[in-house]
Amino acid sequence: MRAAMLSAIFLKEWLKVRWVWLGLLVLHLGMLLYLLLAIRHQFRVEHSEMIWYWAFELRRLLYAPIQYLPLLTGVLIAIAQFGPEMLGGRFRLSLHLPLRADLLVWSWVGFGALMGALLALLDAVALYWIIAGWFPHEAAVSALLTALPWLLGGWIGYFGATLALLEPAAPRRLIYLGLSAAFLALLYQHRGYQEYDQVLPVLIALALLFIPAVILPAHRYRHQR
Amino acid sequence: MTARIARWSLLLLTIVLLALWWPLLKELLFEYRYGKTDLFYSPVIERFVYKELLGEGHAFIYRDQDANDYDRQTFETLIPFIYYKNMELWGKLPLQLAGQSFDKAQIQAERQVLELKPGELPGHAPRIQLFPLLEANPGRARLRFPEDILRPSEQLTFINSDHNRIDPELTTRFTEALSEAGFVWPVQATFGRVSILKAFDAGFFLLDRAGQLFQLRRVDGLPEITPVPLPEGLEVRHVKVAENKRGDSLGLILGEDGRLFLLGQADGRRTAAGLTPLALPGYDAETMALKILFNPLHRTAIYANQRQIKAVAMNRAFEPIARYERRMAMGEPRLVDRVWQALVPFSLDLRDPNGRYLRLSLDVHALAALPASAVALLLAWLLLWRRGLRFLAMTPSLLLVAFTGVYGLIAVGLIPPEPSDRAGAGDLGRTALEPGAT
Repeated sequence: MRAAMLSAIFLKEWLKVRWVWLGLLVLHLGMLLYLLLAIRHQFRVEHSEMIWYWAFELRRLLYAPIQYLPLLTGVLIAIAQFGPEMLGGRFRLSLHLPLRADLLVWSWVGFGALMGALLALLDAVALYWIIAGWFPHEAAVSALLTALPWLLGGWIGYFGATLALLEPAAPRRLIYLGLSAAFLALLYQHRGYQEYDQVLPVLIALALLFIPAVILPAHRYRHQR
Repeated sequence: MTARIARWSLLLLTIVLLALWWPLLKELLFEYRYGKTDLFYSPVIERFVYKELLGEGHAFIYRDQDANDYDRQTFETLIPFIYYKNMELWGKLPLQLAGQSFDKAQIQAERQVLELKPGELPGHAPRIQLFPLLEANPGRARLRFPEDILRPSEQLTFINSDHNRIDPELTTRFTEALSEAGFVWPVQATFGRVSILKAFDAGFFLLDRAGQLFQLRRVDGLPEITPVPLPEGLEVRHVKVAENKRGDSLGLILGEDGRLFLLGQADGRRTAAGLTPLALPGYDAETMALKILFNPLHRTAIYANQRQIKAVAMNRAFEPIARYERRMAMGEPRLVDRVWQALVPFSLDLRDPNGRYLRLSLDVHALAALPASAVALLLAWLLLWRRGLRFLAMTPSLLLVAFTGVYGLIAVGLIPPEPSDRAGAGDLGRTALEPGAT
């Protein structure tokens, strides 16, 4: 019964996000293709050893064009999932399904996070593959490690937008957006590669707090007067 | 229950973010305008002299160690080897000092600056372990980058940059040469200066598993390996390579025990020679930036952290002749620092002034912030009382504010307890069909 309910929920979530997700998939593939062509172009017009010097010594991030892509993805998936729910009180109907409401909310965000994670996985694999095409293995691993905070940005973007969308009171929405923006700004402080290697586990642990936190706006929605 | 956990997750998130942004905000609003003191040893008055910014605007002071003040031009004439171009302009060359005469060419030939900053040390900055080994004898005016890069590990692997493939011939040639020189694999650390804008190329210094140090150069395409003679018991922490035209040194060697040595150069052959110990009392390479200034008469080592600056003036044989230290103007506690600390019980620093890694360091000043925390507690109580909470219901929030001060007050103000918490009303931990659910 519960499994059937969950699969029904996932189907409903998929129907809500499918076009946005497919659009994002196209956008990600397009950006990754652009990155591939941009790096290829660099190696066509410049000496390869100079590009390696820029990358290793001057710490230029040739893959920086994709840094905000996960963030945009997270926000758009959240909007696709919860934007329509907040119109015309549909969210209240959704909360009346015969399943614990907190599990219901977590299954929604779990599905959304999974959809974002699939695109993040695509980014990570493609980034490694693209960089490894023109640079030694170490540089490809370094690019992945450097991009991890950006992927975490997708998580924060998704949960921040979800909190703001589910929240019934406008001032509290601003608070959630402010908190998410404050967190996001911490993830783009780099001046070169792998500078988050040591602090990233703490930031990930902090980002996990969004999982329980997302229950609060739903609770407030349900109990609003 | 889950709604309470949700609220407390948000409270925790808010507090940590506030603690992280607090020092960043201070840095943005009240940054140090000028930074560290400029300290020199004057060969004219044989005293240390310094330049510091005090207060707003261009309130620089030019002072010697005995607190005598100078105007800017006089100050510059006290360190004529630094400002030798001004000396030339003012008709003061050649200089007559210590019974000797120094013209522009002599000064230029003897001038050199060696620097070692904490951020350069291994472990203080990420570094992809790939290094371009330049041709040391390029047969042309400038050095140029090779079309391959060196991966020092179990062997010396060369990777061609045009094809991104290993060059087996170069790999074998250099690996075998290093093995024959007695290198114990694998490479533990690699040190060098990656640049083509330098006087010559000293190659890379490779530390082996046995703690031996070897200089590796590429000369006419062939490996040239020079073992570096290390003093007994010295474990190498870092080698700062600094190729320069003066030709008597190749840089600095820092030991794991904090000892510092000047790495000599063999009679202008650009290969490593003996080590000269530098006696620098109170030098901590992890936190202090070091400069060694060379001029025709003296060598002056100047090293400073964020508060204290120290200097040792040495003769040409690196024997100390004078020492000096002082707390810099930027090291004096500012009113804004005290106020900032008194407002919050702790803060989290993301930036490390001694490296490129972002790190979280906790700075606790709970005692200084006790009054502010007490006020925050009172305000939190008032806030919660006005929202109709009974004492028992508000206790967890008050405890949070007691420990986290203003951060906690802001967090509780932004995310107060829900009305349902007070009434003990429904939670999301049940289905809508259960009794009590909306």
